[in-house]
Amino acid sequence: MNAPLLMPLATLLQGQYDPIRDEIGRLQRNFQGLIWGFVAAWVILMLYTAMIVVRERKIRREMERLKNMVEDAEKKA
Amino acid sequence: MRQKVIIGMLALAAIIFVRNLYAISVLPDEVNQGQIFRIIFFHVPAAAAAMTGSAVALIASVLFLAKKDFFYDSLAVAVTEVGLAFLAVNLVTGSIWARVIWGVWWAWDPRLTSALICWILYAGYLILRQALEEPTQRATFAAVYSIFAFTDVPIVYFSIRWWRTIHPQPVFFSKNGSFPPDWGRALGVNMLAMFLFYAALTMIRLRQEQTQREIDYLRRTAHAI
Repeated sequence: MNAPLLMPLATLLQGQYDPIRDEIGRLQRNFQGLIWGFVAAWVILMLYTAMIVVRERKIRREMERLKNMVEDAEKKA
Repeated sequence: MRQKVIIGMLALAAIIFVRNLYAISVLPDEVNQGQIFRIIFFHVPAAAAAMTGSAVALIASVLFLAKKDFFYDSLAVAVTEVGLAFLAVNLVTGSIWARVIWGVWWAWDPRLTSALICWILYAGYLILRQALEEPTQRATFAAVYSIFAFTDVPIVYFSIRWWRTIHPQPVFFSKNGSFPPDWGRALGVNMLAMFLFYAALTMIRLRQEQTQREIDYLRRTAHAI
């Protein structure tokens, strides 16, 4: 057998079917899924929290406006 | 005082989440799923918080119908709205998990389908409230609807026991469950943080609902003058 000729072929095959590399790849893919899951969970919760904060400001502004309006109307009456 | 309690709860939840992140990261990988199993530490607490919220909404709705006290109506809408966000977290994290493990984003499986129906039903509750102008009528219709919507919650919970599903069988409160104690501890701590966060958001929303009621009263007063 011509060993120098077979070496690159063996390396190529080993590279294609390396079980350790495949397993690392699988875990890496699962890790990316985990990160996406965490990001999605926090994005949803933070967006909802931001919505609550915006609503809080809107309600406070509206409350102030109405209080002033009622006070003005009472003075006029 | 109420403001301080809310801030305290949010701060405590944040501290527990950050501290527990380390505890979760050092756990050994699940043998078949690798890293992705860690999503359970958000997926399950989000569902538990949302389901508890729907039970609170049910009780508040029944109490509103019995006592006609608008506090219960405000409580019902507050827990339902926050619960919808948490159920969305549960559905989205579940979908990502499914994509990695099952190879699909979604399956029309009894657990997944009933959870989606639950989300749609509670979204309908909020839409119904928007559609009705008169406060008493809105609160009464919404309370009846909320009681009806809750009928889906036991179906979501028991679906994996009642039917053969692609979703894993129960690992908690089950004879066949296999959740190691250190994983259970990490999950319990995250569950506590998630419930604190849920309760804090509910308290903020409850206060907003009560303020909105005051605004409506002021509007009527302003028009009367």
